[in-house]
Amino acid sequence: MKKLLSIVLAALMLVGCIATFASCSETPATGAPSDFKVGAIYITGKNDTAGYTFAHANGINKAVKALGLPEENLIVIDNIPEDTTQVTTAIDTLANQGCNIIFGISFGYIDAFDAAAKNEKYSDIIFSHATGYLSSLPGESAGYKAQFNNYFGRIYQARYLAGIAAGLKTLEVKNNNVGYVAAYGTQYAETCSGINGFTLGVLSVNPDAKVYVQEIGNWADETLEAQIAQNLIDTYDCCVIAQHCDSAQPQIVAAKNGAFGCGYNSDMSDKSATHLTAPIWNWEVYYTAAIKCAMETPDKFMDEIGIYYGGLKEGFIDISPLTDNCAENTKEIVEAVKKLMIDGEWDVFSGVELSYKVEDGKVEIIKTETPLLKNDGTPAGAVDDGVIKGSMAYFVKGVVEAK
Amino acid sequence: MAKQKLFHIVKRDHLGFGYKLLVYVGAVLLALAVGAVLLAILGVDPIKYYSSMITIGLPKSKFPESNIESLIKIFVPLLMTSTALALAFKMKFWNIGGEGQFIAGTIAAGFVALKFGPEMDFGLCLVLMMLSAMICAGLLGVFVAFLKVKFNTNETLLTLMLNYVVLYVLKFFAETKADWNLFLSTTSQRPMFANLNMKMPTIQLGRFHLDISLIIAVVITVLIFIYMKYTKQGYEINVVGDSSATASYAGMKVGRIIIRTTFISAAIIGLAGACSVSTANIMSTSITNDVGWTGIIVAWLAKLNIWGVTVVSLLISVLQYGCQFAGSSFSQVDAHFADILQGIILFFVLAADFLVRFKIMFHKKGGND
Repeated sequence: MKKLLSIVLAALMLVGCIATFASCSETPATGAPSDFKVGAIYITGKNDTAGYTFAHANGINKAVKALGLPEENLIVIDNIPEDTTQVTTAIDTLANQGCNIIFGISFGYIDAFDAAAKNEKYSDIIFSHATGYLSSLPGESAGYKAQFNNYFGRIYQARYLAGIAAGLKTLEVKNNNVGYVAAYGTQYAETCSGINGFTLGVLSVNPDAKVYVQEIGNWADETLEAQIAQNLIDTYDCCVIAQHCDSAQPQIVAAKNGAFGCGYNSDMSDKSATHLTAPIWNWEVYYTAAIKCAMETPDKFMDEIGIYYGGLKEGFIDISPLTDNCAENTKEIVEAVKKLMIDGEWDVFSGVELSYKVEDGKVEIIKTETPLLKNDGTPAGAVDDGVIKGSMAYFVKGVVEAK
Repeated sequence: MAKQKLFHIVKRDHLGFGYKLLVYVGAVLLALAVGAVLLAILGVDPIKYYSSMITIGLPKSKFPESNIESLIKIFVPLLMTSTALALAFKMKFWNIGGEGQFIAGTIAAGFVALKFGPEMDFGLCLVLMMLSAMICAGLLGVFVAFLKVKFNTNETLLTLMLNYVVLYVLKFFAETKADWNLFLSTTSQRPMFANLNMKMPTIQLGRFHLDISLIIAVVITVLIFIYMKYTKQGYEINVVGDSSATASYAGMKVGRIIIRTTFISAAIIGLAGACSVSTANIMSTSITNDVGWTGIIVAWLAKLNIWGVTVVSLLISVLQYGCQFAGSSFSQVDAHFADILQGIILFFVLAADFLVRFKIMFHKKGGND
């Protein structure tokens, strides 16, 4: 009995000691005092070091810092799967702590966000959902009590540019086969428009090229990502490996096999010596704009930010710096096309094909009116933002489904 | 002189309830102390962390009622699953298939809601959802129990593997766009589960909404307690658990008892699945919130005692919800800390178990026993 009591006492003392030490090391809060609180719900851990959540967390942290908000005003709930009950609980927890704006980064949060935006007691909170399609825009606002938007980016623009880099590489190494490791294929407009944008970029410089797309069926499975990249190289003799999946595995495999590659999400040149360039997201561009608007003019959030679909122009989307592996003239062509898109003179799915002539470092862009063709040769019809974001479910000519 | 061992282990006779309680509370406190060390290493003030964990954020909450509602949403499925698992474990039937049975229940309930919901009376459909979930999950349990009785297969392995089979069936429904797939929403371009329009009703008490599933869970728990304590079938379960040979000598039909009990156990887990899917009003591939696994820990920590299961479920729910809440304001700790803490507590309580059952006798130097 005595021994036991002493163990319990020792345990209590240990807790006490640690608490004292821990509070010693605590530093007083710095920065402008503010009541404004930002809430965020992540699909994986907030301390991840790569991948989708990492990119968002990085963006939100940068935005909060840039706007001078104290660190403790950012409240994050992480590791929340796409389950409505769990997301609702997370939203409630953030609302309870007085968050003024709540971000959710994963598509499957849509139902819980929709319900929360319709909840009377959350009417003064702004809900912002990445990759979703529901919002409280006037006209669609049946039942919404709170402002509710969604945000995503024109990553297909950056993929087109990466496609140019890949296409020029195929000309240089005289191999027309490009591989593409894709989380999903035509089921998701997000993956589908990315594959098509990339392919159009490749074809604009090498019309004979083929883009072999192999589907994983999962957003993040490092083993399969590596295996599929290997398969594309072994079976289809691909000389460039592009990807739409979470990890850098396809790039690592490409480097191992002497193939070149275009990563995704973040600059992957540190992971692969044969990297060309990667389409990347600068999430802080949106987060800074959204949080700033929510702080300064919260009632006008839907007017000023609304449904956000930023691209190269906003700096929301970009490609990572071209490496020395890129073929001759890549830089010149990519920059010229990028400028066209930034100026709004041309876009990827506009039905106008580009081809390029380079003389003495000067690029001449030739535009040809050519209706977009589907994989099976039928015309794809007009492609607006709604199609790119929501209903695109076909591959363009030049895509080959690999097995 | 032969070399003497430093200590040996002796079985204890009997320990008072108070003493036992003290040992277990001490074990939990020690586990929390180890957790505190981890927190301190991460640079988090353990006192702050634990106090906001235990109070589940109530003091500073803008909407305190929703803290309680969220806690109940975690508590209800955990309580039902743990109770059901305790029932099977009592018989020494190692049902590791809580996850699979839970998901089987949600699939059945979701099917009924989406197939018959639109043209059926709401209350009737809700009852039908629960019944079909119970039968579906129950049969999954019976399948394993039957194989065990008939061919003496290993139920631990079978139930474990079936978890994944059922989970992948659900994932198949979640990702396959096709005309026959009534589980998916028709309005979403991306594959997404459809809304069930079968939301579990709530009783409004001021601003607080009491989910009916809490009442269902409490009723089930009380019924299981009565079943175990006061019925012949409950007694049979205990006998089979102690020794199935004794049970057969006493003329009990052991096979039948195993199959019947497994059915009840799995059916209750299926019911928990139906309640969860109805509370969420939509299916999901992570609907179980791992209760099939956590339930095993709860049942074990509670020594398979039904009241113990109730208390431990509540404590683990507070721990899980509280950790999420506390973790949200410390950038260094993520939500997985709850799992770590849960594991540490389990280890310490298992160690305490040992101390309750045995005592360690140290040998005095030079002395002889």
